Amino acid sequence: MLANFNFRIIFEYLPLFLTGLKYTFIIAIVSLALALIVGIIACACRISGIKVLKYPAIAYIEIIRSTPLLVQIYFFYFGLPTLGITVPEIQTGIFALMLNSGAYIAEIIRAGINSVDAGQIEAGHASGLNYIQRMRFIILPQALGVTIPPLLGQAIVLVKDTALLSLISVMELTRSGQTMTSERFMPSEAFLTVAFFYMVIYFCLKPLADWSQKKLIFREAY
Amino acid sequence: MMSFYFGRLVEIFPFFLTGLWMTVKIAFLSLIICTILGFILGMMRASHNIFLKRIIGFYVAFARGTPFVVQIFIVFFIFPEWGLQLDAFPAAIVAMAIMGSAFVCEIVASGISSISKGQWEAAASSGLSKLQQLRLVIVPQSLKVIVPPLVGQYVLLIKDTSVVSVIGVTELTRVGWVTVIRIPEGLMVFALVGILYFMISYPLILLSNYLEKKMTV
Amino acid sequence: MIEFKGVNKWFGKLHVLNDVNLMVQKGEVLVICGPSGSGKSTLIRCVNRLEPIQKGEIIVNGMSVHKSSTNLTKLREEIGFIFQQFHLYPHMTVLQNIMLAPVNVKKITKAEAEKIAREKLERVGLAEKADAHPIQLSGGQQQRVAIARGLAMSPEIMLFDEPTSALDPEMIGEVLDVMVDLATEGITMCVVTHEMGFAKKVADRVLFMDEGKIIEIGKPADFFDNPQTERAADFISKILTH
Repeated sequence: MLANFNFRIIFEYLPLFLTGLKYTFIIAIVSLALALIVGIIACACRISGIKVLKYPAIAYIEIIRSTPLLVQIYFFYFGLPTLGITVPEIQTGIFALMLNSGAYIAEIIRAGINSVDAGQIEAGHASGLNYIQRMRFIILPQALGVTIPPLLGQAIVLVKDTALLSLISVMELTRSGQTMTSERFMPSEAFLTVAFFYMVIYFCLKPLADWSQKKLIFREAY
Repeated sequence: MMSFYFGRLVEIFPFFLTGLWMTVKIAFLSLIICTILGFILGMMRASHNIFLKRIIGFYVAFARGTPFVVQIFIVFFIFPEWGLQLDAFPAAIVAMAIMGSAFVCEIVASGISSISKGQWEAAASSGLSKLQQLRLVIVPQSLKVIVPPLVGQYVLLIKDTSVVSVIGVTELTRVGWVTVIRIPEGLMVFALVGILYFMISYPLILLSNYLEKKMTV
Repeated sequence: MIEFKGVNKWFGKLHVLNDVNLMVQKGEVLVICGPSGSGKSTLIRCVNRLEPIQKGEIIVNGMSVHKSSTNLTKLREEIGFIFQQFHLYPHMTVLQNIMLAPVNVKKITKAEAEKIAREKLERVGLAEKADAHPIQLSGGQQQRVAIARGLAMSPEIMLFDEPTSALDPEMIGEVLDVMVDLATEGITMCVVTHEMGFAKKVADRVLFMDEGKIIEIGKPADFFDNPQTERAADFISKILTH
């Protein structure tokens, strides 16, 4: 069924795919970095116990988790102009991805903190450490190991999520496939090539995530 | 201006409800298919047949490693070239089934592998066949580990149905997209779309949280 | 030193501490025993405010433990607490475990803290394990490190919450030896334990609790040989026939 597969045209369009790939990388890395910051702040607010910080953080996290990313992207893409804000699509896209992943990351970090044994916290109490000190010396160092595998998992999700920016005409990997399809109508060549590139990224990140998970289990098995 | 558009929005609200109904239909159908297919694949993946394991492993890697929107394009645009012409709605279901069953498969497989070897040995010692061991001893125990993340996965799958709007299925997101062209109030239109999704997803998220708590105790 | 005045505590409907009145003198070694669920662990966990109380007052060195104006850090500096499950920090070495509180709570220099830490390790007989991680130690060794960690703050009071219950039988001795050592040095100790040998040897008084109440309190010899209540007699016969 791939008898007519036209490799020549893929090479012809290779520069376009590579540009798309480059933007997919840039968008994913920038969004992930920003999402980490947002996630840490949101998590800190959520567990702070201060009502004016806690409830907005919960609302933000739950709203993001209960609505599709595509709807969030459209919300900002169609919504920001009505507020008189016009920015390039790529910025709108990164903003949406940042908010989306930020909410998931906040929950990942929170789960990591909750996973620290209550006895550890009590021991910190008993030796007179205050909240910040308990966080810094006892809870966070132990929570960090637990959060790394799911954070890498979120990074994998985020790379795939960048594909949705093609729908607001950001020139990333998926968009390059769409462009080729509309110019030559060769969807097989276009989308299988796109899929191939995503798989390459996946096969770089997935073993990393698995490895970190294994290391964690190994450490706990002591 | 805004209140004018708000009035228009109220007028065409039934249109949103038809979109919501379509979303529910797609979600419901594909969740059932994903669950059945995912359990079968997951049990096969947990078997010791290397060949089966490899094939399913590759399938899962494809489904998890590529964006859903690309998968939809493949089903909708490429399957016809291979002789499988599908309308938008069945194409959406097929794409959801391919993607979702892979995720369910992973959850089921890891749930099964969480059961200790002793349980398999005990079941084998009492003379049960491989399939019986799975069905009667292993799967019932692993349900405890499987169900909470499964419900969480359902939420993700329901939200993923929004992506099938790209091939022209008039579900909730597509309704928003069509509406925003006529009523240029992006915030209002997609806030409404978001609220309708929230109404479906949030109860499931709460259920998932509840199950997670209950199962870990 | 430690004074309980009409202390009451509930977990939901369960009345875990029922009008407890008690005075522990400076330098005294008090052994607390009783059936499981009698409230004995809760009793000492209230002393450094790991648990809140609903009624009454606990006074440690003139500080009212549960008053919100009490400086909790100051209070806890004066009280060492040893857990049944040790609760050493797994991501730190033995030495780091011991130095953490002196450096960050007492704010002494690292060099000084290390000197103290090594001294305390020496004292519990584990000087050579300074750079090990907790997972590399046996249960008995972990508990001795936990004791060293408690001692590093030079507390006036040490509280022990079933310190040997999580240990294999052959390791109980090494931990008790360290505790006997401490007892003869004049640190105030409250020890929740069923180790009656330890109680007979070093305890000044033995306290028997049941259902959140103090049933009996007295000298070890009196308590073991001549219990005043049926419940205490019953309990003693059960643990001694083992």
